[in-house]
Amino acid sequence: MKKTHIIALILIFTSIGVVIATLTDSSTYIDFQSAQLNPGKTFTVIGELDKEEQIHYDARRNLLTFFATDKNGTQSKVFYGDVKPTDFERSEDITMKGFATDSGFVATEILLKCPSKYNEQNTLAEVD
Amino acid sequence: MEYIGESTWIGEVGRFLVILAFASALFSMITMLFSKNNASTIRAGKWGFGVHAVSIFAVVGLLFFMLLGHYFEYDYVWKHSSLDLEKRFVFSAFWEGQEGSFLLWMFWHSVLGLILLFTAKQWTAPVIGFLSLIQLVLTSMILGVYIGELKIGISPFVLIRELPENAMLPWTRLPDYLQQIEAFSDGTGLNPLLQNYWMTIHPPTLFLGFASVAVPFLFVMAGLLRKDHKSWINMALPWTFFSISILGTGILMGGAWAYEALSFGGFWAWDPVENASLVPWLILVGAGHLMLIERNRGGAAHSMYIFVILAFFFILYSTFLTRSGVLGDSSVHSFVDLGLNGQLLILLFTFVAIPLFFYIRAYKTIPTSDGNEEFWSREFWMFVGSLLLFIAGFQIIFSTSIPVIDKLIGPEGFVPILSKHMAPPVDVIAHYNAWQVPFAIAIGFLMAVGQFLSYRKSRLKWTWVPLARSLALALLISLAFLLPYELYKNPLYVLLMLSGWYVVIANIDYWISIAKGKFAFSGSSIAHVGFGLLIVGSLVSNGAKKYISKSPIFLSENFPASENLLVELNDTVKMADFAVTFSGVEQIAHRRYYFMDYLRLNADGGYDFDFRLEPHLQINDQMGLVAEPSTKHYLHKDIFTHLTYAADMDKRGDDEGYGEEMEFLMAKGDTFIVNRHFLILDSINAEPVYNDDLSLQRLTIEAVFRLMSTTGEVYDVRPTYSIENDDPVHQEVIVEEANVKIRFEEINLEQNKLLIKTKQKVDNDDEFVVLKAIIFPWINILWAGCILMAVGGFISVYQRVKRNAALKS
Repeated sequence: MKKTHIIALILIFTSIGVVIATLTDSSTYIDFQSAQLNPGKTFTVIGELDKEEQIHYDARRNLLTFFATDKNGTQSKVFYGDVKPTDFERSEDITMKGFATDSGFVATEILLKCPSKYNEQNTLAEVD
Repeated sequence: MEYIGESTWIGEVGRFLVILAFASALFSMITMLFSKNNASTIRAGKWGFGVHAVSIFAVVGLLFFMLLGHYFEYDYVWKHSSLDLEKRFVFSAFWEGQEGSFLLWMFWHSVLGLILLFTAKQWTAPVIGFLSLIQLVLTSMILGVYIGELKIGISPFVLIRELPENAMLPWTRLPDYLQQIEAFSDGTGLNPLLQNYWMTIHPPTLFLGFASVAVPFLFVMAGLLRKDHKSWINMALPWTFFSISILGTGILMGGAWAYEALSFGGFWAWDPVENASLVPWLILVGAGHLMLIERNRGGAAHSMYIFVILAFFFILYSTFLTRSGVLGDSSVHSFVDLGLNGQLLILLFTFVAIPLFFYIRAYKTIPTSDGNEEFWSREFWMFVGSLLLFIAGFQIIFSTSIPVIDKLIGPEGFVPILSKHMAPPVDVIAHYNAWQVPFAIAIGFLMAVGQFLSYRKSRLKWTWVPLARSLALALLISLAFLLPYELYKNPLYVLLMLSGWYVVIANIDYWISIAKGKFAFSGSSIAHVGFGLLIVGSLVSNGAKKYISKSPIFLSENFPASENLLVELNDTVKMADFAVTFSGVEQIAHRRYYFMDYLRLNADGGYDFDFRLEPHLQINDQMGLVAEPSTKHYLHKDIFTHLTYAADMDKRGDDEGYGEEMEFLMAKGDTFIVNRHFLILDSINAEPVYNDDLSLQRLTIEAVFRLMSTTGEVYDVRPTYSIENDDPVHQEVIVEEANVKIRFEEINLEQNKLLIKTKQKVDNDDEFVVLKAIIFPWINILWAGCILMAVGGFISVYQRVKRNAALKS
């Protein structure tokens, strides 16, 4: 057996390892209800900001609280212990990483999708 | 109908040029690939490519002309620029959109193609032929032609009124719509994040990098086409190393931009967009080394072909990832689906199918290894290194592709296998580091040792001495970094640090003791030293970065203390060895600067002024506030300061100090609560005013509200909404006692209700900022490594070109 063949085998096995490890390491997008079933475990939830409800940022405590609705329509209060992201109110979809507690979903990381920023959906509706 | 004030000639010329570019690429492709070495056919193909390149240059020039001349009737100009855009950012506006960035890419392909036209000698026909094929596919991306329902490309020369979504709107039939409609007098402006000097140089460098990866690919295709697997390598080698250098520089410039202008505090975050450009680079580095093996020793032809083809494929795949919108939920760079996904997929499959076809066709003629691999030989170590780079790249791209996998086999995918949507790992950075750190360690050791081995077989005895000497020295230097920053706690960090310094020392040692310090052999040594420093620099600056803005507040027991600190105006807070005073605010145009004075403890126990940082906010009405950090650079550390919150800007009211707008849809009798008052809509009065001919001149509608406080005070509030000559006029009412402002916005005809907007007085006494401050130790090692890597790469290119020239004469 040539040395290159041995290396090729190692290569294949490492690649399989990469695939399996990535698949087990990857999380799933779930809804608030499923997160609630496993309180304390970290999940990624995609939701929509509830603009009807109050968005409150207490800069002195550095705590942002808001309500979000997931794709199934379940609403949850969300706590985010960090600075309110720029343009938070304008965001549409919010990807929240965090865990469920009895008083609400505690997000450790949030990612916004703002229609105005990159989205080229024109504001021509305003024109006419 | 004649439209007034439109410059339609630009669009007409532009579209003509794009079609000319498309046609000439097609012509050049056919003549070059089917030339059968007929000199006059090749000459025709060369002219064809020349015409193509010139048309692309003209399209680029025309788009700049449009942006500089503020032709806002054009969609691209309107979306990506504005009157107040500083001239130097016109470049950023040019490539902000997809159409512009495709153009930039094609521009570089054209430039490189023109150089190849005169330098590729006997390889000109197939090389330019395949380049024309690439250009043909790329040009189709900006064609903007409809075949029935099918859209082919998006033209940058579309007028706003021609957009399909505007096709039936009444204003598109007004001849003077440009004058009548306010919105056309100015564009929506460039994303403030891109209004940064790095964004004027990073994209063109990166795209030159992208474009240059095509060159080794073209030679590979030419080699496969002619079943000549050797003679093109010398010509392609300098191009490969040029591409490695320039693509690497482009990627790292992106890191520098992220570090200087973005808020996450760092230069690399394993963001999908960063990953997508890193992977082709890793594979290209592997490809370059395999080409060296094949040229010097042979036996690596198959892997060389596969690597080069994959490097180019991953450039296209990265384009697909970033432009198809598939990454939407997982990247901070939110990209939009412009509806070109089908076309992007065709692009991708074209460049899988065609190389595969030629590879299979030439398969039997490709020389294989003679089976005599010597373990202690340079080529063996280089080969293993290349494979490691490949696995590293594979790991990155596989994890980055999770959204793609979800699209394919997720619950809503083509083949729904998974029951739940797959999301990227929860801790992305830890996930990638867990794989990439060991890979980097291994690659580092291969690089340190491999350089000392010679091709075919090494005399081992002699090699041990410098290897051990370098390792000992590397260990000493590593300790100097591991100990003070306590990095020794993580065994992987220890190995990575050692491997990084080993690369640096061994390569310097090699250059001095074996290459005798000759410039001619310095290229690879310098580039390798640069790589080593890059590893060391990123490890120290990231592994030992220190948040000095720790807030003393805990949210709960296991909730991490925030890395943000609140500072009141004119107040001083302590941050590690510093005391920081928020001493003032100054606004220059749309940039608002916050002065942070760093003070240092002196011998008497008092504080002395040390330096001032001015992080600032860009105030952009279209896109909100964008904060830009400010960093104090020392040789051995950076102090990074970023505003995460500014109270004076967040609670910014209107001119009269009212803000926090709310909207209500109200019918008669409805009640809402506004600023602790009840707002009741009692009645609605309409008051028409007629012209002499009894046509309606003005219609004023008055909403009569009662505003009641909880203690019983009642105010009569009557905002009005009137229409005269189609223009709405609003009469707002302020109730000072209740700190409320009420506006009758419009009538919602569908629900037969009034749209009411209220604002309340905002308390603007708060003047404090929340900031994040991080010390990055020795980040300059990282930047030095980047520069050395690029310099080393360019020296190799120069030396190889010189050697090739010498070979010929």
